[in-house]
Amino acid sequence: MTPAVIVTVLLAGALGALARYGVSRALATRPRFPWAVLLVNVVGSAIGGIVLGLAEAGAVSPEWRLILLTGFCGGLTTFSTFSVETVQLVLDGRGRAAIVSVGANLVLGIAAAAIGYLIAR
Amino acid sequence: MLAVLAGGLVGTGLRLGLDSVLPHEGFAVSTLVANTVGALALGMLVARLWDRVPSWLRAGLGAGLLGSFTTFSALAVALVSLGAAGDWMPALAYLVATMALGLGAAWLGLRIGRPRATAPLDLVDE
Repeated sequence: MTPAVIVTVLLAGALGALARYGVSRALATRPRFPWAVLLVNVVGSAIGGIVLGLAEAGAVSPEWRLILLTGFCGGLTTFSTFSVETVQLVLDGRGRAAIVSVGANLVLGIAAAAIGYLIAR
Repeated sequence: MLAVLAGGLVGTGLRLGLDSVLPHEGFAVSTLVANTVGALALGMLVARLWDRVPSWLRAGLGAGLLGSFTTFSALAVALVSLGAAGDWMPALAYLVATMALGLGAAWLGLRIGRPRATAPLDLVDE
């Protein structure tokens, strides 16, 4: 891992975080359900699956895998906001919305990663 | 926006560092640790600080630092990777561990971060 790769990974992560922030600001007018987290997590998981498949096929170098997967996808997606928003929904008495949110993130996120991986491999 | 960028740089750097010292392939312990610690920290910050700090600091610490320190894509990719290798039981264990620890940590963080009730009950009767 050269210093240039490390710096690029960090920049890609910051860019992903900025994109996530943009999405959350754009969807902030719909506060009834954590749409922003769901959207970035599904899109980021799909890109992650594609990059994993391409890396295993040898079409993406280990350096670019690190930059795109650990950097960009890692910055774009989030688990902390997902967890805290889920618990807040439960504490607000909106257990059903919490279950739907968790289920949608897991089912759609994992499916997106799996489909991306299978297509790219 | 600058706060989110700066937080994103630091959060990604911390996660990259964790990936280099803890197992990251297969049963990705590094991702599990990052997600659990990040959920705990965000819960504490939201309960303790969120209503008294400026919005740029919330964006830098929440969306920036902890948002990019934790990751959902690495969870999904770890599960796909384990599944593709036929390791279904480790994949299921990883998913259950992540959800239990992550949601538990967020709940704990929100609880211990909450400021104490203002007046103890036994002083009300004075």
